[in-house]
Amino acid sequence: MASKPVQTPKFIVRALLIGAIVIALAVLPAFIDSYTLRIATGALMWAGLACAWNIVGGYAGYISFGHSAFFGIGAYTTAILMQSDFGASFFVTLLPAIILSIAVAVVIGGPTMRLRGAYFAIATWAFAEMLMQLVTVLDFTGGTAGLSLPAYLNEFFFYYTMLIAAAASFVGVWLLIEHSRFGFRIKALRDDEPAAESLGIRTNLVKVQSFALSAAITALFGSIYAYWTTYIDPHSVMGPQITDQMVVMVLLGGLGTIWGPALGGVLLWITNRYIWSTFGDTVIYLPILGVIIALVVLFLPNGLISLLVGRQRGKELISNILRKF
Amino acid sequence: MDLFLQTLVNGILIGGILICLTIGFQLTFGVLHVIDFAVGGWAMLGGYTAYWLVTLAGIDPFISIFLVFALFLLIGRGLGPLIYRVRTSRYARPDLMALAFTFGLFLFMRGGALWLWSYNSRSVESVLSGQFLSLGPVTIPLMRLSAFLMAMLFSLGLFILLYRSRFGMAVRALAQNRDHAGLMGVDVKRVSAWVYGIYTGLTASAGVLIATIYSVNPTVGIRYTLFAFFVAVLAGLGSVGGVLIAGLALGLLEAYVATYIGARYSLLIVFGTLYLALLVAPKGVLGRGI
Amino acid sequence: MSHKFSRRKFLRNSLLGTGAMTLGFPALNVSAQEAKIRCGVVTSLSGANRFGGNLTRRGYDLWAEEINKLGGIEIAGTRYPVEMFYGDAQSQPASGADAAERLIIQDEVDVLFGPYTSGVTLAVQPISQKYRVPMISGSAESPNVWLAKPAFNFGMIPAVDLTTDKSMVVLADTLGDRAKTASVIGVDEPFSKETAEGFRKGVEESGLDLLSYELFPAESDLSAIVSKLKSTNPDIVAVGGHESVFINFVNTAKALNYKPKALIMHYGVTSAAFINETGSESNGILGVSVWTAGLPYKDDLFGTASDYSDLSFSRWGTRPDYTEAACSASGLVLQDAARRLGKAPPWNQDTRAQLAKAIEDTDIETFYGPVGFAKEGSHYHNNTKPVPVVIQIKNGDVVPVAPENASKGELTYPIPGAS
Repeated sequence: MASKPVQTPKFIVRALLIGAIVIALAVLPAFIDSYTLRIATGALMWAGLACAWNIVGGYAGYISFGHSAFFGIGAYTTAILMQSDFGASFFVTLLPAIILSIAVAVVIGGPTMRLRGAYFAIATWAFAEMLMQLVTVLDFTGGTAGLSLPAYLNEFFFYYTMLIAAAASFVGVWLLIEHSRFGFRIKALRDDEPAAESLGIRTNLVKVQSFALSAAITALFGSIYAYWTTYIDPHSVMGPQITDQMVVMVLLGGLGTIWGPALGGVLLWITNRYIWSTFGDTVIYLPILGVIIALVVLFLPNGLISLLVGRQRGKELISNILRKF
Repeated sequence: MDLFLQTLVNGILIGGILICLTIGFQLTFGVLHVIDFAVGGWAMLGGYTAYWLVTLAGIDPFISIFLVFALFLLIGRGLGPLIYRVRTSRYARPDLMALAFTFGLFLFMRGGALWLWSYNSRSVESVLSGQFLSLGPVTIPLMRLSAFLMAMLFSLGLFILLYRSRFGMAVRALAQNRDHAGLMGVDVKRVSAWVYGIYTGLTASAGVLIATIYSVNPTVGIRYTLFAFFVAVLAGLGSVGGVLIAGLALGLLEAYVATYIGARYSLLIVFGTLYLALLVAPKGVLGRGI
Repeated sequence: MSHKFSRRKFLRNSLLGTGAMTLGFPALNVSAQEAKIRCGVVTSLSGANRFGGNLTRRGYDLWAEEINKLGGIEIAGTRYPVEMFYGDAQSQPASGADAAERLIIQDEVDVLFGPYTSGVTLAVQPISQKYRVPMISGSAESPNVWLAKPAFNFGMIPAVDLTTDKSMVVLADTLGDRAKTASVIGVDEPFSKETAEGFRKGVEESGLDLLSYELFPAESDLSAIVSKLKSTNPDIVAVGGHESVFINFVNTAKALNYKPKALIMHYGVTSAAFINETGSESNGILGVSVWTAGLPYKDDLFGTASDYSDLSFSRWGTRPDYTEAACSASGLVLQDAARRLGKAPPWNQDTRAQLAKAIEDTDIETFYGPVGFAKEGSHYHNNTKPVPVVIQIKNGDVVPVAPENASKGELTYPIPGAS
C-alpha cells in the first residue's frame, strides 16, 4: 500500500473522482433518451439494493436470502397507502414503509440471527416465501391481482429520487460502517463473534441493528419502485429473483466493500438490460448471464472491484472477511 | 376416515418425492460443503433427458433412469473439479463463491433449456403413468409409489456406499476434515469430483421420476431448489438420515394442511412451520452431518 | 508505478470500455425512417408465462406475414408494409414496462400489440398512455385491466368474468336435471383466480349446489385437491388455471383413479399442447372458448375461421386457439382503423391519438367474430361482443357443444369411465 507521504494526494484524487461521478450522474438525464434514463434509474436502484444487502451479507457476514421480503414490505406499504381509501402522497408513505420494515427486521432479526451460515440463509428465504404467500392470500394487499398505483410518469423525478436514495445509502453506509464505532463492532462480529463478545460488544444488538439498517434501505427502494412501475403483485416485488439479483450483484462487485456493490449493481443491471434488448426476441440472455457469473467467480473471485482498487488491496480487504458461513 | 387415510398416503408419497430430490444434495453438502443452487436445474435436465429418450427412442423412464444416472454421473464427475476449485480457492468466502458459481450454472441450465426446448410443459409417459393400486378405500398411484421406493433405494444405496466401502470411508474422512483426509492418503480432489458426480446422477434420476409424476418445463428448477434447500435444512445440512424424517414430515404437513385447512394456505403454513422449526432446532432434526 | 502494459490494466480498461459502450450504444441507435408501419409486440417470451406469450407472438406474426404478402396496410390508396419489433416482458410487469419504453423510444413504433398477461398489461398501460401509442391487446383477459379506463388500450377478448359464468350457466342448462352439484377449484394467481370466481358465480346463478370452492398456490401438489374432489364427487368440476395446471390435474386425477363426470376448464384446453400432452385423457374435457375454427365468421384477409385455422396450422404446425386468433384479429383492427384514419405513417403523437379514437370506433366482422369496444362501464375498451361457446374435446378435435345455436355435436355426459 501507499506510504504516508502520498496519502494526501490520494485522498484528493479520490474526492475529485467521486465529485466527478456525482456531477456526471446529476447531469446525465440531459444527454440520454427516456428509455436509457429508465435503465439508468434501474441501475441506481440495484446499486442501492446491493449496498443494502452488503451491510448484512458483506459487513456482518450473514447471508440473507430473504431481502425480497423487505423490498415487498416497502412496495406494499406505499401501494396500499396510495390507494384511494387513504390517498396518501408518495413521500408520506416512505416513513411508514421504513418504520414497518425496521419493526419486522427487529422482530425476526433477533431469533433468526442466532442461526449460522446456510441455516440463516435458508431461514430467511423461508420467511420471505412465507410473507409472499401471506400477501397472496390476504385481501387488503389485492391478493394475487396486485395493486395499481396512481401513475406519475415523470422519468426525471424517478431518476433523481433513486439517485438521492442511492447516494444517501452509500454515504450512510460509508459513515456508519467505515467511519464509526458501529462499523468496527460489525466487522469485529463478522471476523470473530466470540472474541467480539468477550470484548464487551453486545453482538446480538449489533446484528439486529445492522439487519434493521439493511432492511430499511431495501424497503425505501421498494417504495420508490412501486411508485415507479405503477403496478405490483406478490411475485414481482417479493419473488426470490429480487434477492438473487442483490446477492449476485454484491458477489460480482466485491463483498464487504463500499464500491463493490455499486459497481456490481450498475454493471450487472446494464449488462442484463443490454443483452435483453439486443437479443430481445430470444431468451439467450439467460445462458449468457449464467456463463458470465460463472466466469467471474472462477477468474475474479474477489469481485470486479478488485480490478479497480488493485489486486493486492482487494485481496487484503476480502481475505479479512469471515469464514463462518 | 377414508379421506384421512388417503391424505396419509398422499403425504407419505409427496415426502418420497422430496427425499429423492434432496438426498444427493445432502451428500454434496456434507462432503463438499457446497450449497448447490443448481439442484433444481439438475432435476430439470434429468426430466428432459427422460422426455427425449421416451419421445425419440421410446425408452421407458424406468429404463432411462439408469441411463440418466450414468450420463449425469459423468457430467457431474467432469464438472466436479471446477466446483472443488471454486470451493477450496484461497480467496475468502469460497462457500459463497461456490453458491454464486452454481447460481450461474443454474441460470445457464434454465436459459439453455428455454432456448433449446422452448417453453411448454412436457409430460413424460411411462408404463406406470396413470396406474394405481387400490387398497380398500385408499388409492396409491404407482408412479408416486415408485418414487417413494426409489427414495428408499437411494438412501439405502448411499448408506451402503458410505459405511460399507473403501470409497465411502474416504468420503466420510473427507466430510470430517478435508486436510486430514488428504494427509491420510485420500485423493481429495478425485473423491470430491466423484461425490459431485454421484449427487448430479441421483438428482437427475430424481428429476426423471418427478417429470413423470408431474411434467417438466425449463423453469421448474427454482421450486425444486427451494424445496431441496428446505428439506435439507430441516434435516440438518449434510445429514442423510435426517432427510428421511424431514421429507416425510414436510410431505405430510403439506397434504394434511391442503386437505383439512385449505390448499390455499398449504405453502404459507409449510414455509411458516419451516421457519419456526429452524428457530427452535437451529441444526435440523438430527443435527449432525455425515 | 510503471507504465508497462499489465494484465490488470488491460482488464480494467476493457471493463470501463464495455461499460461505456453499453451505456452509449442505445443512444447511437438511430435508424433511418422508411414509410413503414412499425408495430411493437410486448409479450412474455420467457418466464412463467412464456407458453401463452409465445402463442400471442404467433398470432401477431401471422397477421403481419399475411398483410405483408399483400404489400402491407392500405391507407389512402397506398400500401405500407408492417415491420414487427419485439420486447420480452420476461413475465414480469417491470420488464414489460422497460420493453414498452424501449420499443416506443428506440424502435419508434407507431402502435403496440399487447402482452399476454394482465399484470404486464397493467404495467404497460401508463407508458402507452404517456407516449400516446395505441395498444391492442390480443390476450389479456382479467377484468382488472379495464377498470382504470385505459384510453389507449383495447382488448380483443372479453374479460373472463363475462365468459366463465355465462358458459357455466349454459352448461348447466344443457345438462338440465343430470347435473345437480358442482365444485370449483383454481390457481391462486391473477387470471386463474378470476376464472374460478366467474365459474363460481355461474354455479350460483344456475342454481347448482356448490360443494366446494378452493384456491391453491401455483405449482403445488394436486393430490390433496383431487382426493377431496373424489370423496365428494360433484357432477361438474370447474378448474381455473393455465394449461400446465390442467395437465397436472388430469395426470394426478388419473393416477388417483378419479374421473369427474364433467370437467370444465377455461384457457388452454383448446391449445394443441394440452391435447398432445394429455393424449386420450383429454377426451370429453369441456372448455370455454370465445372462438373455434367451426364458427361461421369471415373476413377479407384470412377468409373463414376454418381457413384461418388451416393457415395457422400450415405455418406453425399446430391448430390455433382463441388467443392466437384474437391476436391475429388485433392486426385486422389496426388495418381497419388506419384505413379510416387515412394518414400515411410515420404517425406523430396527435395522429396516434386520432388513431386511438379510430380504434375506439371499430365495428367490423372478422374471422374471429365481431369486434367493437365498449366505450363506457367497467369493461371500458374491452371487446365484449364475442359470445363464449362451451366446447368438448372429442378424439383430439375441439367440438362446440353449447349453446344450442353454436353447437356442432352432442354434449357427452358423463365422460365415459367417470367415477
